[in-house]
Amino acid sequence: MADAGDVSQSARTPADFLKSIKGKPVVVKLNSGVDYRGILACLDGYMNIAMESTEEYVNGQLKNKYGDAFIRGNNVLYISTVKN
Amino acid sequence: MTEEDATVKEPLDLIKLSLDERIYVKLRGDRELRGRLHAYDQHLNMILGEVEETITTIEIDDETYEEIIKTNKRAVPFLFVRGDGVILVSPPLRQ
Amino acid sequence: MLFYSYFKTLVGKQVTVELKNDLAITGTLHSVDQYLNIKLNNVHVVNEQKYPHMMSVRNCFIRGSVVRYVQLPPGSVDVELLHDATRREARG
Repeated sequence: MADAGDVSQSARTPADFLKSIKGKPVVVKLNSGVDYRGILACLDGYMNIAMESTEEYVNGQLKNKYGDAFIRGNNVLYISTVKN
Repeated sequence: MTEEDATVKEPLDLIKLSLDERIYVKLRGDRELRGRLHAYDQHLNMILGEVEETITTIEIDDETYEEIIKTNKRAVPFLFVRGDGVILVSPPLRQ
Repeated sequence: MLFYSYFKTLVGKQVTVELKNDLAITGTLHSVDQYLNIKLNNVHVVNEQKYPHMMSVRNCFIRGSVVRYVQLPPGSVDVELLHDATRREARG
């Protein structure tokens, strides 16, 4: 067993990564190609996601803003951190 | 209500806090719903009341080949929505 | 289990089931199971001109997974009961 307890300097497993990005600004890309940019509030094992201050981008264009948003996990292609 | 009920620890808590509130639901197939959330389960199956459904379609103009975006709306008193079509749920339109 | 229990209370009532292929069928709810498969009696298709092949269909079994919506009879929706059942389910 690798030392999974120490994730302070670098996240090692996908689960560690997901744990480490709560409260951070992220981009969530869906299978449809739509992007959601906002603050990751929390997520669960199905990749259901709760986000705050969410902006919806379709073909790179801002289409909508949501105060809070729940995204159903089956639609998620990836979650990525963003700078600033 | 205990303190536990009012915090968002997992994504579904966001939905829990929206019970009996008007929510926005984005569905597959360019459909959107606005309605009052009366019931839901872990699959995101839902019962909504005073529902307005918006269907967006894109038509191509025969002559100019321009994309014409059309929206069709209809009202439904009570609607059961199967969860597998749900993409996004957003609590009250507070802005 | 919440929606299975709820749909059981609608047996004998008229509902309109809208499928993911846009076909909408109105009928009397005969039965429902845990997958939310639905059996309807005395059915008629909402847009018969568009789906004439359904004219002779009197009853049908609908696989739960092909359902998009079910329009519920307003008189059979007790919202307080649904709120309570939802809170109980969320806790469990």
